[in-house]
Amino acid sequence: MTKKKVLICDDDKGILEMLELALEDENINIITEPNSLNLYKLIEEEKPDLLLLDLWMPVLSGDQILKNLRGHTNTRHLPVIVISASTDGEQIAKESGATDYVAKPFDVDVLYSKINRLMSA
Amino acid sequence: MSYTENGEFSFSHENIQQDFSLLTSALDASISGIIITDNQLPDNPIIYCNRAFELMTGYIRKEIIGHNCRFLQREDRNQQVREKLREDISAGKHSIVEIRNYKKDGTLFWNELYVSPIKNKDGVTTHFIGVQNDVTRRKKAEQELERERELIEKKVIERTERLKASQDYMDSIVQTVRESLIVLDRDYRVLSVNEHFLRTFKVNKAETEGKLLYELGNGQWNIEALKELLEKVLPTNNPVLDFEVEHDFPHIGNKLMLLNAHRIELEGEYKDRILLAIEDITDRRAIERRKDDFLSIASHELKTPLTTIKGYIQMMNRFMPDTATDKFKEIVAKTGQFVERLSNLISELLDVSRIQTGNMELHRKMFDFDEMINETVDGIQSASKTHQIIIKGTKLGNYYGDESHLIQVINNLLSNAIKYAPNTETVELHKSLVSDFLKVSVIDKGMGISHDEQKKIFERFYRVSEIQTKYPGMGIGLYVCDQIIKNHGGTLWVDSEKGKGSNFSFTLPLKERAEND
Repeated sequence: MTKKKVLICDDDKGILEMLELALEDENINIITEPNSLNLYKLIEEEKPDLLLLDLWMPVLSGDQILKNLRGHTNTRHLPVIVISASTDGEQIAKESGATDYVAKPFDVDVLYSKINRLMSA
Repeated sequence: MSYTENGEFSFSHENIQQDFSLLTSALDASISGIIITDNQLPDNPIIYCNRAFELMTGYIRKEIIGHNCRFLQREDRNQQVREKLREDISAGKHSIVEIRNYKKDGTLFWNELYVSPIKNKDGVTTHFIGVQNDVTRRKKAEQELERERELIEKKVIERTERLKASQDYMDSIVQTVRESLIVLDRDYRVLSVNEHFLRTFKVNKAETEGKLLYELGNGQWNIEALKELLEKVLPTNNPVLDFEVEHDFPHIGNKLMLLNAHRIELEGEYKDRILLAIEDITDRRAIERRKDDFLSIASHELKTPLTTIKGYIQMMNRFMPDTATDKFKEIVAKTGQFVERLSNLISELLDVSRIQTGNMELHRKMFDFDEMINETVDGIQSASKTHQIIIKGTKLGNYYGDESHLIQVINNLLSNAIKYAPNTETVELHKSLVSDFLKVSVIDKGMGISHDEQKKIFERFYRVSEIQTKYPGMGIGLYVCDQIIKNHGGTLWVDSEKGKGSNFSFTLPLKERAEND
């Protein structure tokens, strides 16, 4: 079984580091990116199986990225889980076309099981 | 009997005796007192008085005849009318005066005295005829009338002053309040405005008063929502309170206004006048928004590092070495608990701030209420090893409401039930349909809440006193729940008995569902 690639984009490096440690196992390859501006290029190069996406990021916000991804054939069906500490995060995530939503602070196990469910589907 | 000239009788020669007696009888029958004085004798003494004079004065004839009539004045000699009397008499004219006289027993009576001189051929005044009428009653009535009039006049002056003072007082209140006030007549013409109105909307009195409201300042008050309020809402719904109107004014910019309108219903001069109070809430609303924004950002920023901490604590548990002591394991567990508490506090803080400013928006959509309950219960159940949550009752079906808010309510009620019933094993959640409401009850057999405290637990920041020390939290959970249920048009209440457990129930109207299906 080939390793699945999960791309995580969050401007908070603490969260990236923690998630790298928490989600990594023999089946998952974690790629992290703190700068949302690099994301399109990274998706093109790495072709991840799933994207974990924060909403409030400087310059280019998560929902803008997500709407863009949904507009392109290659990324239209990419599973995207939005993670946000914003109170109206769920609303924004749904409107932008997120596959799923997890509010911060989250339970790592819940997030892990959601990721696995989406990638095996 | 026939007259010749002034004051002289001509007797019929045959019956002088009889005529005289008739005349005397006539004089005695008069109700006016009549006297004759002889001016040719010293001090002008009374030589005749009739019966009415005796009755009027209380003196009898022998006490009268020979006296000058001034004896009736007693010591009251300085009456001004005597001057007039004297002048008229010395000029040989007749005179009418009202003079104070005194009866024999000393009582005062007002005498309307008519004095007429009688002259002989040579023009010398020989006698005077005095006719007197007791006008005491009339005089008294006149005096009373006069006093009454003075009294009324005084009262009118007093009242006018008081009215003026009270008007000034009211006016100063109206001018001092920091809210714009307009008085309109029934045709929406401006009768008056207060200072604050003039200042806020940068206009002067002259261009405002007497003008039609809608025509003020080139029609800048021709606002559809305001027309609606005055012409449609107010006639059927008096008064109208807190009617929000937003309008872009040409000079002063966009204003958010809260209007209170009241039509005078009292009969009379003021009937159908309209009082319009305008509160400018533009700045207040902007501040509220800034505060909400600040709190949103603050909570977002606080939650971000919290996410990392929470994740690492989970990692600690996952990578816990087998050799770790129980003490160390407990320390990690406690850290997790308190991070959870911190996370709840941050969420609660944001919720309560939103509710307080009335900005808790409902994102209504259709959802399966039973499924929502099942999922919420599952979530709580997985975290609680001590209690079993039992769902009972009927299927509730779909509901049109804010799912995430209602999840919050169920979560809060269930975790309270578990928290405050530490020595029990079950918590029941009961679902029912009652009339056009759905009803959810969360029932525990825990410590219960005393009657006094039941009323207060829905208040903001209130915590049952003995709970305060044992169970952490800010005490705003139930307040938030109550507001959420109210926002949905339902009610939340508690039935509880100290020591026997609590039953928290809420209802939600299903009408919404029918309307939006």
